[in-house]
Amino acid sequence: MTTQSANRRGWKGRIQLIDRCFLPGTIGLLALPLCILFGSTAGRAQDNLQAPTTAGYVPVISGAFAYVQNTSGGVQSLVPQIVPVLLAPMGHSLLLESRVEFTGYFQRENLPSGPFSGRFAGKVYKTVDYAQLDWLADSHATIAAGRFILPFGLYSERLAPVWIRNLQDTPLTYSIGTHPYGAADGFMLRGVAASLPCASIQYSAYISAHYSTNELQAVRAAGGDTSIFVPSKRVEAGLSYQRTLEGYQINNEAAYLSWQPQRASVDLKAEYDRNHYGDGYWIEAAHSPQQFPVAPEFFRHVQLVGRMEQFFVRNGGGNGLARVNEKRPEVGLNFQIRDDWRLESSYGRLFSRSGNSNTWNFGFTYRFVWPLWPGRKS
Amino acid sequence: MNDQVHNKRFLALAVSGLCLAALVAASGQTAPAATGPAHAQTTAMAADPGEKVFAANCARCHTPPMTLNPRVTGTILMHMRTRARLSRKDEKLLMQYLAP
Repeated sequence: MTTQSANRRGWKGRIQLIDRCFLPGTIGLLALPLCILFGSTAGRAQDNLQAPTTAGYVPVISGAFAYVQNTSGGVQSLVPQIVPVLLAPMGHSLLLESRVEFTGYFQRENLPSGPFSGRFAGKVYKTVDYAQLDWLADSHATIAAGRFILPFGLYSERLAPVWIRNLQDTPLTYSIGTHPYGAADGFMLRGVAASLPCASIQYSAYISAHYSTNELQAVRAAGGDTSIFVPSKRVEAGLSYQRTLEGYQINNEAAYLSWQPQRASVDLKAEYDRNHYGDGYWIEAAHSPQQFPVAPEFFRHVQLVGRMEQFFVRNGGGNGLARVNEKRPEVGLNFQIRDDWRLESSYGRLFSRSGNSNTWNFGFTYRFVWPLWPGRKS
Repeated sequence: MNDQVHNKRFLALAVSGLCLAALVAASGQTAPAATGPAHAQTTAMAADPGEKVFAANCARCHTPPMTLNPRVTGTILMHMRTRARLSRKDEKLLMQYLAP
């Protein structure tokens, strides 16, 4: 037996051992939401919410246009983006939804070191973020099939859209739990396990298959997310777990906290992520000075943002993460011109062993919601 | 060794920042009352149950939406029920609030 084959056998044995250890956990992870689903169905109280509304169910095209001028380490990038979201309801229980990103990256020819020709060159990338069919099966459960965003941590599913994020730079730990495609192809069960006046418990559990078709790539993985929200304090705390089930199988874990105190317009969010290649955290605070003594109407539309984050390499890093320890403080100033237009700016400094650099972002976002055809007149 | 000291300093700075923000939050005053979905985020004592659901769930992730056309409200709420993991009751309350 050669050394190579012995190593291979040892490696396979290790994977099988990991599989055997992991199997009960996977079954438990997938069984828990099912129990919740059936439990909630059995014990469901009758809702008395039959008051008429004018709400219509026409198909919608929503999304955003955005343009960001990014200067990172002296290299300028022009990043226009169009993100359409299609929502097509079929009755009141089925919804087909899809989001596609068209993102251009244009940099000046010859970069900063060469002679400036006056031209910018680059490419437009397209990504299918999700294309899923949702079945609103029960008051407490929705089953999604198709391609969906990985529900991991606070950022990837909830804060990543360009019209939602407060700072345009993604956190240093963003790749943990989302690498390499950020989405899964498979099935997901999600919803609210308990919705009480004092607290609500939300959950997601999913399984993804390996898929290699362009724009729809995904890796075999399973995972889940659960959070508890206390409305009286407006505090949410959650945990995410994911295990990749192909190649070098690793665990990804996240813990997060969100707090919007009732007495002030401050939004605090924090997340800690960890996997085989590294761990790190980010803490973000956003504040709108609604009671500013001078020109309160103007300052109500201003948003001040600050974020601190740090990443620590483990086992050499890589896999979408940095290969050296990094930390980055970042501040931002946003202005909401109207409900649908927002101006954005931010400055951050990256401290890294491979070299410190400044990052500047300036841009705007336009958010739209258009009905695809006229609805019935009420 | 030097890195560890820097990391600890940075962590201390991050925690201090969070504490400062929490202090600002805790010492802030209640925002002035306003009407409509655009102001639900800042309405601490929302009377309408739909407004409460809006302030508690939707405003956790994003700023209040632009005025919604009633024709699309049902579709948007189906979408958000999935995204925000809302119960059917919360969806109905939001619908009555956004498209009465």
